[in-house]
Amino acid sequence: MTALDTRPPEEAPETRRSLSEMFQRRPLLMMGAIWIVLILVTGLIQPNYLSFGGMRNMVLIAAPLGIMAGAQTILMLTGGIDLSVGMIATAAAYVAAFQANGTVAILVGLGVAAVIGFVNGVGVGVFKVNPLIMTLAMSAILVGTLTYLAQNVFRGSADPAGIITTIGAGSIFGNRLPWSAILWAAIAAGIIYMLRRTGFGRLLYASGDNPVAVRLSGVRLWQVHILAYTLAGVLAGIAGILLLGRLGAADLSLAANDLLPSVAAAVIGGTSIFGGVGTYSGTIMGALILSVIQSLLGFLQTGQAVQNIVYGAIVLGLAWLYARTTRGTGS
Amino acid sequence: MTTLEAKTATDTGRFQGWWSSHGWTAGVWVLMFVLIAWYAALIPKFGAFQVNSIVKNSLPLVMLAIGQAVIVIGGGIDLGIGAMMVLANSAAAVLMDGRPFGVTLVIAVGVVVALAVANGVVGWIISVSRVPDIVVTLATGFIYGGLALLILPGPGGSTSEGMRYIFTGSAGGVGSNFVPPVLVVTVVTVVVAWYLRRTRPGLSIYASGSDLNAAYLSGVNTHRTKIRSYAMGGGLAGLAGLAVLALTNVGDPRFAVGSAATLQSVAAIVIGGIALTGGVGSVVGVVAAAIIVFFLDLLLVAVGFDSNTAQVVQGALIVAVMMVGGLLEVRRRRLE
Repeated sequence: MTALDTRPPEEAPETRRSLSEMFQRRPLLMMGAIWIVLILVTGLIQPNYLSFGGMRNMVLIAAPLGIMAGAQTILMLTGGIDLSVGMIATAAAYVAAFQANGTVAILVGLGVAAVIGFVNGVGVGVFKVNPLIMTLAMSAILVGTLTYLAQNVFRGSADPAGIITTIGAGSIFGNRLPWSAILWAAIAAGIIYMLRRTGFGRLLYASGDNPVAVRLSGVRLWQVHILAYTLAGVLAGIAGILLLGRLGAADLSLAANDLLPSVAAAVIGGTSIFGGVGTYSGTIMGALILSVIQSLLGFLQTGQAVQNIVYGAIVLGLAWLYARTTRGTGS
Repeated sequence: MTTLEAKTATDTGRFQGWWSSHGWTAGVWVLMFVLIAWYAALIPKFGAFQVNSIVKNSLPLVMLAIGQAVIVIGGGIDLGIGAMMVLANSAAAVLMDGRPFGVTLVIAVGVVVALAVANGVVGWIISVSRVPDIVVTLATGFIYGGLALLILPGPGGSTSEGMRYIFTGSAGGVGSNFVPPVLVVTVVTVVVAWYLRRTRPGLSIYASGSDLNAAYLSGVNTHRTKIRSYAMGGGLAGLAGLAVLALTNVGDPRFAVGSAATLQSVAAIVIGGIALTGGVGSVVGVVAAAIIVFFLDLLLVAVGFDSNTAQVVQGALIVAVMMVGGLLEVRRRRLE
């Protein structure tokens, strides 16, 4: 191992070295390559996947996940994390499912999500509760509240309003371009613009990179945290409503399985869990990769147990590969 | 931090020095006894049966929380620890089904050792890959949960009467002999606390959790320490799984059981005074905190909440405790 590392670089094959250097400088390219390979592998198993229908399915799976992972990216940039995104999404979807009017349903759902995110932000920003604890506890509170509501308040059918089904599962241009893809693209553009060009976006990076310096330069960190967590709540709520539209019914485990993927998409896309480093474009790539893997495992028909094992192993492998590539070969 | 503590100790007497380092642990134990006394006053009869019930039912969480505590003290965190408990429970239930006591005892040791080795590998992966603990253990949690489902697709299996006696104090799982479960808690706590505070490898877990670079520079093998803390966490999660099996006499591979247990283990260590940043806290406080986290549910139901509301109140209380802690910290910083 050490002998290999101390070898002079000239001995390494020229093309291989330049390729690894390129990946090291632009890890997104490597992720893109992995994504394409995965799509081709899935196409080998299920030839139908390499079609408009297949791509449409991929985007339908990736859109809610990508939006949720956007919430995770924003918070991870500040050095935080939200382990309640799954339950926030479920809560928004659940409340929205029982409103007859589509617009009201969406507004109420997003309002609930924003309030939950705001409370998370107050806990983390003002009371300095560790984000992990704050959001795990919030998750437990939401599970209890929703179970109570399901048994006592929200009874009867939970058919979502027409507009929600359209946004979540419908498409335009002859069933080719899903509405959720358009919505995701708009949100993605908004997040990328916010992170790159606005003062708030730069503050998110700065507060995760060096909170002390940010505080000493006169920024009220608690305000940044409250805003970031509220925004994350709203994004999780949007994801929840998209999921509601795609699945057609709300239940308490609607988005429970999306928590790990939301963290994993951000990590695979190069966002550091310690804050200050990462981009949303990387997260988008991560969400796309994970949605292909989900379809692949579905086509293999292996059952839930093997799916979980393979999924966990792949997430671990990709995170490891990313860490290895970007760390460089020398150290 | 240590210099500050030393100063207060010389300035204002011994008691304050003791209080600043053990105050939280003592407080948690007092809180636990107060809550139990309150509960005893609420229900018509409180005796050996109730003590047995509280100790044996909180046993899985106590074991799991001690395991989580060791890992967090070492500077990590394991979000797959609940899934590991489920895996131990499912594997043991399948292997022990219908076997005599002697065989089940061997299987029990095997399960604990196997999980310790498996999670040691997780620690090795974290140390070598430098992927953050949270990410690795979220992923391995999925793997453990999948393995549990693979071994046992639905609830099933059983264990021997002897195993049930060790963890619950009676062959049938219901009784008022509280000595065996209390003994299990005491032995595990004393051994882990002694190991962490009084042995070289144990102290190096504290050292790496408190400042990894400083520990490395002063000659601690931080790589091996990471593996050790995760292996201990795995072994204790294995014990937790065996305790669940002894309590219920059935293996339950459901994923949700694991994630709920992970949440409670993190809540218990935080209430028990372990800092999530690592290197701070004692497992003795964690034991009382884990019993409180389990017991709160029972108490809230006894007071008259239904179980869903009890869950909400429990989550809110955990946040409230952390908020008070956070405010005290902010105030302390302002005063300095």
